[in-house]
Amino acid sequence: MSVTSLVHLKDRGAGRFVEANLIDGLTREDVEKADADWKPFLDEQIKRMESTGIPKHKWPQHRHWNWREKYDATEEYLAYRMFGIECQSQMQGLMLALTAGKNSQIASQRGRPLVYVHFLAAAPWNLASIVAEPRFSLVGSILVAAAIHLSIEEEFQGRIGLHSLPQSDDWYRKTCGMTDLGPDQTVENLRYFEMTPEQASEFLR
Amino acid sequence: MKINFSKEWLIKRAALDEKHDVSAGTINLNRLRASSPATKAEPVQAFTEAESSNPAFGRLINLWRRKKGLRIDELAEKARIDVAELFEIERNSHYTPEPRTVFQLAKTFGLPQEKMLELSGNLMIRDSSLGQEAVRFAARSESVAKLSKDEQRALEEFVKFLSEK
Repeated sequence: MSVTSLVHLKDRGAGRFVEANLIDGLTREDVEKADADWKPFLDEQIKRMESTGIPKHKWPQHRHWNWREKYDATEEYLAYRMFGIECQSQMQGLMLALTAGKNSQIASQRGRPLVYVHFLAAAPWNLASIVAEPRFSLVGSILVAAAIHLSIEEEFQGRIGLHSLPQSDDWYRKTCGMTDLGPDQTVENLRYFEMTPEQASEFLR
Repeated sequence: MKINFSKEWLIKRAALDEKHDVSAGTINLNRLRASSPATKAEPVQAFTEAESSNPAFGRLINLWRRKKGLRIDELAEKARIDVAELFEIERNSHYTPEPRTVFQLAKTFGLPQEKMLELSGNLMIRDSSLGQEAVRFAARSESVAKLSKDEQRALEEFVKFLSEK
């Protein structure tokens, strides 16, 4: 069953906050619509980037993600939760979180359970790396906050962990204040980040 | 899950988020498939490298306690075990409880002692199906205040499995 919370995103063009819905428990229809909205936009931008000679390492690293596949692979498991932020009839960001079996790697928290953010992405029109004027900000912060709240609900005290795509490393390290545990050779050498209960509390403050 | 965000928080975060792209997750979808409980015997541990972890034991105790409507201190008193150890069992999947504690909990809940010793990490799991069922159970259960129907079903199926073997 879906639960919706009223949130606000910042419309960067208009410079004002607009109402949005944070949805906990997306339906297959929600996810299919997001894919249908995101993919043509992304394809168009990739073509533009290719034709203007923008090197591939600057293209969005999650351009091949298919959220419907992720939904289908996880929908029957209680331990997976999918969140989305809907604004102006379009999905502005998606997140898939895992609530079982992942434990902290940080020495002070070692072995204690956490919520693992398996996938998180903003809609392509919200990415500064591919459009000159991204439409909305706050998508990432609200989804990370949702993961922290989920962790608190699970009695994990706000502990979360995730593997960042390289274009977002700085955001998790500097803006979210997460602990950078370095490249994880078992996961495509992506950097692994964790948030302790104290860091989570600071993030929500 | 309902969440409230204050206006002040949104304003502060919006300023911090302006110039950043945000994404997380593996590029390869196969990692997600590999982590799904139905497709691999040890799905969850796949993310935690070579740690010694027994999430099913803590989950089992947590769910069983909540099913019985007991607080942690009430169960500790009933089973005559230390409340701090019970707290650790439920919160820390790396914690290996004392055999006596496991015996006391098994006795209190009427569960098979040997299987409980295996699940808790005191004995090597000899039956591979127990390991698989344990991981599947841990992945299916959630730690919320009240047992959902699905959690209740997961708990009952797992206890039945333990009792039948």
